[in-house]
Amino acid sequence: MKPAKFTYHTPDSLEAAFQLLGEYGDEAKIIAGGQSLIPVMNLRLAQPEHLIDINAINGLSQIREEGDIITIGALSRHREIETSALLKERLPLLPEAAMRIGHLAIRNRGTIGGSLSNADPAAEWSLMAFLMDADIEITSARGTRMADITDFIQSVYTSDLSADEILTAVKFPPIAPGEGWAVCRISRRAGDFAIVSVATTICLDTSGAIENLRLCIGGMDVTPVRISHVEHAAVGQMPNEAWIKSAAEVASGIGSPESDMHASAEYRREMAAHLTAEALREALKRCGGGA
Amino acid sequence: MEHTKGKNDFTALGKRMPRTEDHRLLTGHGRYIDDIDVPGALHACFIRSPYAHASILSINSTEAEDMPGVIGIFTGKDLAEWTTSLRMAPSIEGVKPVEMTTLPIDKVRFHGDLVACIVATDRYIAEDALELVEVDYEPLDPVTNMFKAQDAGSALVDETLDTNLVSHQTFATPDVEKVMAGTDRMIETNFSEHRQTHLPIETRGIIAEWDAGREHLRIHVGTQAAHPYRTAIAGRMKLSESQVTVISPDVGGGFGQKIALYREELTVAALARHLKCAVRWREDRFENLLAASHAREDWVRTRAAVDENGKLKALSLEIVEDFGGYCFYPANYLARVIAMILSGPYKLDHYAFDVKVVLTNKCGNGPMRAPMAITSWIMEGTMDAIARDLNLDPVDVRRINMIREDEFPYQMASGETLEDINPFETMEKGLSIIGYEELRSAQAADRERGIYRGIGICNVVESTTYGSKFYKSAGIPGSGHESAWVKIEPSGAVRGAVGISATGQGYETAFAQAIAEGLGVDPLEVKIEIGNTDIAPYGMGSRGARGGTAGGGTAYLAGLEAQKKVLAIAAKMLALNTADQLCMKEGKVWRCIKDDWTETELTLADIARTAYLDPTKLPDGMEPGLEVHKAYDPPPMTYSNSSHFCQVSVNINTGEVTFDRYLIVENCGTVINPLIVEGQQHGATIMGISGTLFEHVVYDENGQNLTGSLADYLIPTAADVPELEIVHMHTPNKRTPAGIKGMAEGGVMGAIGAVSNAVSDALAPFGITIDKHPITPDALRALLRNKS
Repeated sequence: MKPAKFTYHTPDSLEAAFQLLGEYGDEAKIIAGGQSLIPVMNLRLAQPEHLIDINAINGLSQIREEGDIITIGALSRHREIETSALLKERLPLLPEAAMRIGHLAIRNRGTIGGSLSNADPAAEWSLMAFLMDADIEITSARGTRMADITDFIQSVYTSDLSADEILTAVKFPPIAPGEGWAVCRISRRAGDFAIVSVATTICLDTSGAIENLRLCIGGMDVTPVRISHVEHAAVGQMPNEAWIKSAAEVASGIGSPESDMHASAEYRREMAAHLTAEALREALKRCGGGA
Repeated sequence: MEHTKGKNDFTALGKRMPRTEDHRLLTGHGRYIDDIDVPGALHACFIRSPYAHASILSINSTEAEDMPGVIGIFTGKDLAEWTTSLRMAPSIEGVKPVEMTTLPIDKVRFHGDLVACIVATDRYIAEDALELVEVDYEPLDPVTNMFKAQDAGSALVDETLDTNLVSHQTFATPDVEKVMAGTDRMIETNFSEHRQTHLPIETRGIIAEWDAGREHLRIHVGTQAAHPYRTAIAGRMKLSESQVTVISPDVGGGFGQKIALYREELTVAALARHLKCAVRWREDRFENLLAASHAREDWVRTRAAVDENGKLKALSLEIVEDFGGYCFYPANYLARVIAMILSGPYKLDHYAFDVKVVLTNKCGNGPMRAPMAITSWIMEGTMDAIARDLNLDPVDVRRINMIREDEFPYQMASGETLEDINPFETMEKGLSIIGYEELRSAQAADRERGIYRGIGICNVVESTTYGSKFYKSAGIPGSGHESAWVKIEPSGAVRGAVGISATGQGYETAFAQAIAEGLGVDPLEVKIEIGNTDIAPYGMGSRGARGGTAGGGTAYLAGLEAQKKVLAIAAKMLALNTADQLCMKEGKVWRCIKDDWTETELTLADIARTAYLDPTKLPDGMEPGLEVHKAYDPPPMTYSNSSHFCQVSVNINTGEVTFDRYLIVENCGTVINPLIVEGQQHGATIMGISGTLFEHVVYDENGQNLTGSLADYLIPTAADVPELEIVHMHTPNKRTPAGIKGMAEGGVMGAIGAVSNAVSDALAPFGITIDKHPITPDALRALLRNKS
């Protein structure tokens, strides 16, 4: 469990990082928190010849709101998101999701940019980004481009990031005042990757009917999946138990889950239904500004 | 035993004192293998088989050998020149002799098995070289199922045998068949444990230094049994025991994984001698999970003949155990003890067992805290099965079958004798603390509301300390004795050593208390030296739960003997004819005049000074100095007992099990240190819960180990386990020093049974009984799905 030989670079600006990327291309890997990369390097499943550490680059770890868009710098640690006063007020799902990532030591190091670049389908940030239609800011020597999360995360551990590019920020819309939300998951132990996770936001109109619904499920396919036909059909519906059950049933049929040693495909389908119902109930309780 | 005093007479024994070793361990001043610097030491790493079963056709290491920093690459043929094979051929009926070379030569027997050893100037280079070695394998049929392994046409794990059935032992009391045939009700119950591993925080590791001038081998290795380890390694390297020093420094856990001399360690030691240089090896976590030692994996069936009241008339037991690919221990070693002590706290006259142990293409099994862990689940699960079948309360079935206080000593059908235990009392005490009757009413009301809670009870009779006579009668090679010395230096400083080696149990504190009690000094005045074969006397190592009775008991006896000599000198110095009216207390000599004890002027330091520096003042014929050596062989078997009570809730939607309450009522006799006993209860019980709910070594049908990291081999975090309530009782053992019984494994036994029985109880409305581990959410949902 010792990594293969590599050269370690610590650029202090994006420009310097781009220059290194330009020089080494596919032979280089960006390292931020290192919570996924270092273990696979120690197992020699990854053997980059150059490691470009971006931690010394300033300006990549802010969390700020501008014109109804919340921008989270790629180097923001999970722990910073978990404890951000701005996010607790404007986008409380994110601190809630951050709390479930690993353990404190992991959250102190791991970054949102690293997690999304890694495109682990079970990661909390993938689920959040899909739920909220986050935009990914990608920068290279050629300039800055924005990518929709559904274009950015393509499959298991596969993201749309060229060898010369760095993920620099993630942009989320905040939730509306009174909008209900919930993040539910099941894992074998506290701190494990979720077997199945469900996140939702619900807006009700003054009559109590659904005005807007987001519903996203992880662990059922190669990326998190938005259950768009439930979202569309929900508009104007009264959110009663019958509706919750029908939504849960749809959720159980989503994707093509695989069996592994921690959960069979059948179990994942059952949990998809169970967690969807739980999440919808919890979000409805929060609607209208309730806790 | 003549030295046994009443519990209340003790001052050092039973003292709730913090562990003296903890300050260094908790402040980062412990010295584990990686903390020991050896300048110039070379690093070893091992090439391991990617196949479960394959012939090794060729090994091409030319390119790797040319790498700068690579010292050499060594194969099984090389090691066979420098070391002997391990022949495991005890003269035990039913156990087949087997032999293994230091490294495999012609074929590998499991995924992760050893192929060759690379030595380089550092571990990074060694692992770089590993990628350049080409090994040509011819895959063979993998034997991965212990039942199919017994088929006539099965591939053979060990070709020197004509079958994979490496051990088969049976036993029957004379009338068991007759009684079974004459009983109306026969209740059959199955139990199956899955494969697990010990998972010490510190993996295996060794530093071997060969002193070419003195022809002496010095080894630092984390081991539970430093002296037997020295005997083994000296024998296999054809050295005298006087040419080997084994030092076991601070050790980050063993749990049974660090008893045997492993092939990697022997290879490293042989290479140190061959290369005339220090060589070190640290096992990484991947290797530890794949290839250190595994445990459990068995299938069990009981058939209980009972009357209409649930009274047990006869019992038969079948065990099939998957032992893996190699025998580091006699193959009957683990399963045999289960069979010997099965009936535990219950009366049983007629008993039979059939125990089969099978070789497969998996990592070799070894004892893991507790080797007989499944015993209590089998017996208590059988009690629950009887209750279910006859529609009786499980507590009533236990009551009708349990041995009562006045029936001890009780000879079990297997021939073993139980004494000085109180299972009926611990069970009744626990039942009253948890409010059993009320829990049952609440359970019924909860079920009406769709809440499924279960109560699991597990009464444990833990075999703790194995005396030499037990080994002999069980047909297991080994001695159960232990030895200790006490040396009081001229200044009065007290040093003590015990042969047994520690792996985190707090022996330094416990043994100091035991010697202090015997000698009559403050425990903090006793410095304990263990884990070095040049310093400590030959001991049999830490295994079972023998630290208390064998280790602590011998230390106590050595302390008493030291006190005897001290007082003999004191009597002379006080001009008395006899020491009968003297005793040592807190390092001072006390004298009894007319039933009144008073302190004299004499201190231990005065006596020590006399013993070493003024020997003409010693009693006639007494040797100068103050040194005592003591060896002690405990009774054939010492037992402790406990009752575990577990209440769980099962979420039938998710299959998740959560704990509502966990109570243990335990009786381990005279306690050396209550803090250490509680720590052992916590550790053992959580380990049992962990194995029942989480830990699982998974092999696929081709024998590929799928659990090579701690992301896949799961152990619970503090958030996943219950808080434990522990109630202590103390019935001293009449035949051991100070009445110490030992404990450390019973918690594992109790947890496995209590948790399994609780989950079965919770799911009784669905007709579900747990007969297989681990109890995962996925597995519970599958059971519920099939029942609905």
